[in-house]
Amino acid sequence: MTMLEINNLHAEIESEGREILRGLDLVVKPGEIHAIMGPNGAGKSTLSHILAGKPGYAVTEGTATLDGVDLLELDPSARAAAGLFLAFQYPVEIPGVGNVTFLKAALNAQRKARGEGEISTPDFMRLLKTAAAKLEIGQEMLKRPVNVGFSGGEKKRNEILQMAILQPKLCILDETDSGLDIDALKIVAEGVNSLRSPDRSFIVITHYQRLLDHIVPDVVHVLAKGRIVRSGGPELALELEAKGYADFAEEAA
Amino acid sequence: MTLVPSNLKRKTRAETDIAAAFAAVGATLPGGGREEAFARFEKDGLPHRRIEAYHFTDLHTLVATAPHPAAKPSLEAARAALGPDPLPDFDAARFVLVDGWFFPELSDLDGLGDAITVGSVGAALAAGCGLEVLGIRLADGPAQDDPLIGLSSAFYTDGLVLKVPPGGRLERPIVVRQVASGAPVAAFVRHLLLIGADAEATIVASHESPDGVEIHAHSLTELTIGHDARVTLIDRQKEGDGVFRFASLAVALDKNACLDHSTICLGARLARTQVFARLGANADLKSRGATLARGRTHADATLYVEHLGHDAVSRELYKSAVDGEARSVFQGRIKVDAGAQGTDGRMGAHAVLLSDRAEAMAKPELEIFADDVACAHGATVGAIDDALKFYLMSRGIPAAETEKLLIRAFLGEVTDAIPEETVRAAIEADVEAWIDARSTTR
Repeated sequence: MTMLEINNLHAEIESEGREILRGLDLVVKPGEIHAIMGPNGAGKSTLSHILAGKPGYAVTEGTATLDGVDLLELDPSARAAAGLFLAFQYPVEIPGVGNVTFLKAALNAQRKARGEGEISTPDFMRLLKTAAAKLEIGQEMLKRPVNVGFSGGEKKRNEILQMAILQPKLCILDETDSGLDIDALKIVAEGVNSLRSPDRSFIVITHYQRLLDHIVPDVVHVLAKGRIVRSGGPELALELEAKGYADFAEEAA
Repeated sequence: MTLVPSNLKRKTRAETDIAAAFAAVGATLPGGGREEAFARFEKDGLPHRRIEAYHFTDLHTLVATAPHPAAKPSLEAARAALGPDPLPDFDAARFVLVDGWFFPELSDLDGLGDAITVGSVGAALAAGCGLEVLGIRLADGPAQDDPLIGLSSAFYTDGLVLKVPPGGRLERPIVVRQVASGAPVAAFVRHLLLIGADAEATIVASHESPDGVEIHAHSLTELTIGHDARVTLIDRQKEGDGVFRFASLAVALDKNACLDHSTICLGARLARTQVFARLGANADLKSRGATLARGRTHADATLYVEHLGHDAVSRELYKSAVDGEARSVFQGRIKVDAGAQGTDGRMGAHAVLLSDRAEAMAKPELEIFADDVACAHGATVGAIDDALKFYLMSRGIPAAETEKLLIRAFLGEVTDAIPEETVRAAIEADVEAWIDARSTTR
């Protein structure tokens, strides 16, 4: 059984024709946490964008399936309904769209796409209240438009809140630790850990080992020059922290 | 010196029509000042692109012909033309005009309050009471030079005369319904609203007409607001798709007066909505506009706000959503007089283009003669932000739904601020329907 299976994925930036992913393979099983580390420009964020369906990239070869569903055929909303969730490195501000309205619209859209009925308002409010409390998100933040006027830490917590409400199968955290202080990092990590379950998987993209002290991965991968060049256990992250990425830059060259 | 090409100097068919109409009916219209008003219009005729205020809305080419001024329809015809009330849940008086003529039989003017004078321009004219005796300097200031105001002042037939005495209060808001019989005519309405010192009034204008007929709907509203008085004015324009709408508001705010003004443009083939505002000391003007344009329509909102007294505050926010091959124009000028120290003016104009062939023009201007002022303007034109769209979609919201959400949010900054709840709800429903129609016609 696999949750995510990526085979020989090649992708380029459409406007430039520059290849970023060059034959990437990755298998993530249900319940596993995989960390992807690597030097700047290795293609880590690109991988997350391509899996989520962000426009501007062209997949030229390879496949990516989520729980048996071909992701690359779907538009971003259908990928979300299929169970994919991307926690953005830079969550955008959406003036005029209230946070609660947005969360409810997103949840109901996904339920509709899966042929489930709409959630009742009391049920939704209960779900929201519990999830928000865990992340120390107050009423005031929920009432505001999506991410408008939020601090960096609030935006990241808001991403995890969405994750908690939408209950995806596969969560990709794209440098969720960037811009977070230690306290915020802990809150976010606890939020993620509380969502761990045997049928939910995580891909944690990060530059720093620190996050992995809080969200302990099963597998650590090194992504360099568009491919996974090495995989190992959590000790690999410690090794990278000590030695840097110099070895891989050469290996891949 | 402006060089004007000869084809722009030549009289157009529409200008010939208008001149013939004035020759035919001008002398029969009661009230003074019509010749002078017409002369102001005729000096340059329908303004063309070389006239700065009409650079983006060249009436010389956009207006091909001009229909004949409307005669007063029979009561039966007027009654038949009257569709369902546009604001059925709004507890307010109704002042009904059909083709520019007032119909007391179709109106409801009860319960407005003691000492409120409400009547029609037509009745005042018929009584031999020239409007100047009503105590107003019509369209003072730069509005006076505007050719469309000249045209309205020459041809007007009827309109609302409202006087709220000092300290008075309009107990019920008034909805002014400007309805079309469906005949291809030119209607000319002129309202006079005098709100005394420390008085209060809410007025809603509703413009309705059928699709598929070329009607020229002219409308001039002159509003004076006494010191410390508070006025809410909401203009909801749902003209038919063949209509040329020319609407001007000329307003003077005395010291400490407040005007909360909203204008929502949902229809018409060509719409020119003008606001000329003159602000006394410590006056407070809020003017907001939402334009929803599609097909091959052209919608223009032009503002001229003059800060004449010190420490007045003005906030102008105009937003347009432009689809199809439509075009929206915003022109906004804030002028700060030498004596208007402490002025606080802020103007924003934003357009979202919903198709590749939609166009939006924005021209904000500041003209400042005082030295201690805070004035700012900003304008943006762009498509729906792909980053926002992707973010919403990545949470499972389908593409079409995402666009709706973002258009509604974009216009929401204007519509959410409309003060009367029932009217706001109706306008929000209009916006919703417009957005829904958009996704079904594609």
